[in-house]
Amino acid sequence: MRKNGLAIHPLNDSVGAEIDLDLSTPHEDWVYREIRQAIDAHGVVFFRDQNLDSEQYATFARHFGKTIVPTSDIIPAFNGSSEIAEVRKEPEQTRNIGGSWHTDQAFRPAPYWGTMLLAREVPDYGGDTLFIGMAAVYEALSDGLKQTLDGLRAVHSNARVQAKMTDGKPAQPDVTHPVVARHPGDGHRFLYVNPAYTVRFDGWSEQESQGLLDYLFRFAQRPEFACRFRWREGSLAFWDNYQTWHYATNDYQGERRVMHRIVVESDPFF
Amino acid sequence: MMRNQIIEEKPVAGVGAEIFGLDLREKLSEQAYLEVRQALNTYGVIFFRDQNLTPEQHLGFAERFGEINVSKFLVQVPGHPGIAEVRKEPEQTHNVGGGWHTDHSYDQAPALGSILLARQLPDRGGDTLFANMSAAFEALSDGLKRTLLGLKAVHSNAHVFGPKRPASRNNIDAQMRNTENAIQEAIHPVVILHPESGKRVLYVNQTYTVRFDGWTEQESAPLLNFLFQHAIRPEFTCRFRWREGSIAFWDNRATWHLAVNDYHGERRLMHRVTIEGVPLPAARDSFSTSAES
Repeated sequence: MRKNGLAIHPLNDSVGAEIDLDLSTPHEDWVYREIRQAIDAHGVVFFRDQNLDSEQYATFARHFGKTIVPTSDIIPAFNGSSEIAEVRKEPEQTRNIGGSWHTDQAFRPAPYWGTMLLAREVPDYGGDTLFIGMAAVYEALSDGLKQTLDGLRAVHSNARVQAKMTDGKPAQPDVTHPVVARHPGDGHRFLYVNPAYTVRFDGWSEQESQGLLDYLFRFAQRPEFACRFRWREGSLAFWDNYQTWHYATNDYQGERRVMHRIVVESDPFF
Repeated sequence: MMRNQIIEEKPVAGVGAEIFGLDLREKLSEQAYLEVRQALNTYGVIFFRDQNLTPEQHLGFAERFGEINVSKFLVQVPGHPGIAEVRKEPEQTHNVGGGWHTDHSYDQAPALGSILLARQLPDRGGDTLFANMSAAFEALSDGLKRTLLGLKAVHSNAHVFGPKRPASRNNIDAQMRNTENAIQEAIHPVVILHPESGKRVLYVNQTYTVRFDGWTEQESAPLLNFLFQHAIRPEFTCRFRWREGSIAFWDNRATWHLAVNDYHGERRLMHRVTIEGVPLPAARDSFSTSAES
């Protein structure tokens, strides 16, 4: 047990923990340190019943690093905010955002570390978000495959995702990241490839890469490595983009779902 | 090209060459032997036509290239333990070697090669395909080459014709012997340095290679399957049509082969003499060597 001791309840050994805490009021520094440690250890943490106003929400976020100004047309700034963006699906919309396994920002040269979502309006049921802990996935591989993957980099691109968008923006230039990255927090290793953005191993053709990448993508989706979060209004999820994948289920047609998102920067992985 | 070369070589697209100018009933001169050996190293498989050898002549030709390997699992020609029979009878539906493979990759020192002589053939069908595993390796991307150069693979025969074979393959006991002792397993570099030609050769095969060393079978399957598919592109393969008296002499380290099983109801009888090989060294990663120097 830690010295100060937040009430942290892991969902399983791979990913996710719930934390009992009221985020509307200020806390001592150790509280934010322990939240950060819990995210490092579990990949994503969940808080329930946090009916924060925008200022309370942003104040909480700033304890973890610089907040990023929303610039996306798909996830626009909420009410002119320079910190909060809105993820919205209206009853008449059929496509959702993030409805496939991915890691935010993997196609960027320096992906942002943290993302938090605060549920403002959710359907009665449906619209869950699933997470996968890529450190647990990596640890479950054989020693031989780990050793091979440790030496590889992969090419990431948002071209396939961008091709489905209607905003007419060009794809970002390709970037490479280590296939196995090390966490800036405690140095633990995690697998950093994902089905949405990873196109091939660096130096390999797409055809050569596909079989092994697809294997890793299928392997990572074993239920043992995942958790599924059911939202309520006021639920807040705060995840580490480096070491998790997530998936927003699109199973609530005809209903509205509104989430407020804040993205924060931290040290890069290595 | 050597001056006054005795043999004439006619390369075959994909892999191999036809060799003319030799009557293999006669003892090879030293120069002819060296030329044949050179051709084998250059082409991976060489073909001769109309060589109606006695068993003694067949063995005599083979002995020039090394020690004879007595097959542990194939039926022997009576009176000639050094010659194995590859036989399929009209009533049999299974053939020997019907999947892509290199012989004996489950041995610590896999055979150098085999000299297969056609004794009795169906009117049509029963061709043998060969694949050029050096060309297959060199056609890979630099990144995948570099990864493969650092890997080893596990080869086994138990799941093919030994005790772990599926029940559906029990009919092979009509064509093989001693299969209860087919429990050999060996680890070889995924990319070998060919002991004679110095070429880098992809040394995994669909029949006997079960996984990368240190990886699980499930982890290994996708990349192995890619390599298996890649290597059989028509650009790397040839298809040999036999006549009685035809000989194929393949380098087991440089090639894969596959015996097409498309002549049910007919007999096909081949005599195989196999030559002992050596342990296979790993090819070196020329990329990292040059990067470090």
